[in-house]
Amino acid sequence: MARSVWKGPFVDGYLLNKADASRASGRNEIIKIWSRRSTILPQFVGLTFGVYNGHKFLPVQVTENMVGHKFGEFSPTRTFTGHAADKKARRG
Amino acid sequence: MPERRILLGVVGRPHGVRGLSRVVSYTADPASLTAYGALSDDKGRRFTLRWRGEGIAEIAEIVAGKPVPAADRSAAEKLVNTRLYIERDRLPPPDDEEFYLADLVGLQAIDADGAPLGTVVAVHDYGAGASLEIARAESAPLLVPFTRAVVPEVDPVAGRLTVVPPDETMVPEQAA
Repeated sequence: MARSVWKGPFVDGYLLNKADASRASGRNEIIKIWSRRSTILPQFVGLTFGVYNGHKFLPVQVTENMVGHKFGEFSPTRTFTGHAADKKARRG
Repeated sequence: MPERRILLGVVGRPHGVRGLSRVVSYTADPASLTAYGALSDDKGRRFTLRWRGEGIAEIAEIVAGKPVPAADRSAAEKLVNTRLYIERDRLPPPDDEEFYLADLVGLQAIDADGAPLGTVVAVHDYGAGASLEIARAESAPLLVPFTRAVVPEVDPVAGRLTVVPPDETMVPEQAA
């Protein structure tokens, strides 16, 4: 069942405070979080979070397309690296 | 210096009785396995592939410059587990700000002062930008976002990249 609209998106409150502080400082930093359940809000866009997957903190660079999703969606707990072959990575 | 080769796929079990084989492609687009021309194996033999269905290909060994397809199931069985490679030089040059994973993995990571940090062992991308995993000798692996700010220089020819590790801030769940 979908979450009731009147409640608004769920986000752990301390993330909002930390995101505001990080944005104000303007430093190049990774905010390491355990809160995979929090919704990505527009004020997180441009920040980089390290989202814990039970093993390590995977860097998550928040972009506009990710708003509304949960942090945990971008930090899978079961991973298969596969073969490099002709795959490419783009530097952001 | 030996020529660098990249593994693109592996031959699987035979399909039918006419010499076709299942082929596992590791390329980004599985169908592009045939786009790079002749493939070679561990023994130096060269092959051409032609897709005959999804994941099913006709494999022909190049003998004296001519492709000789596997004639029957027995011939296809002899190709099982053959690993298919191409030379790195035959990959087209990537776009600006793009790098082949095969070029990134294995690079030595150094910091801005030139001190060694470790070796790139994996490149992750789960939809939130690429990140590099750098194995260090005496501590846990370092995971850094693959951005211009954090990785300002990448030099695959010299075998190294420069990493400016970002600050890390822990936000424990109990913090309010």
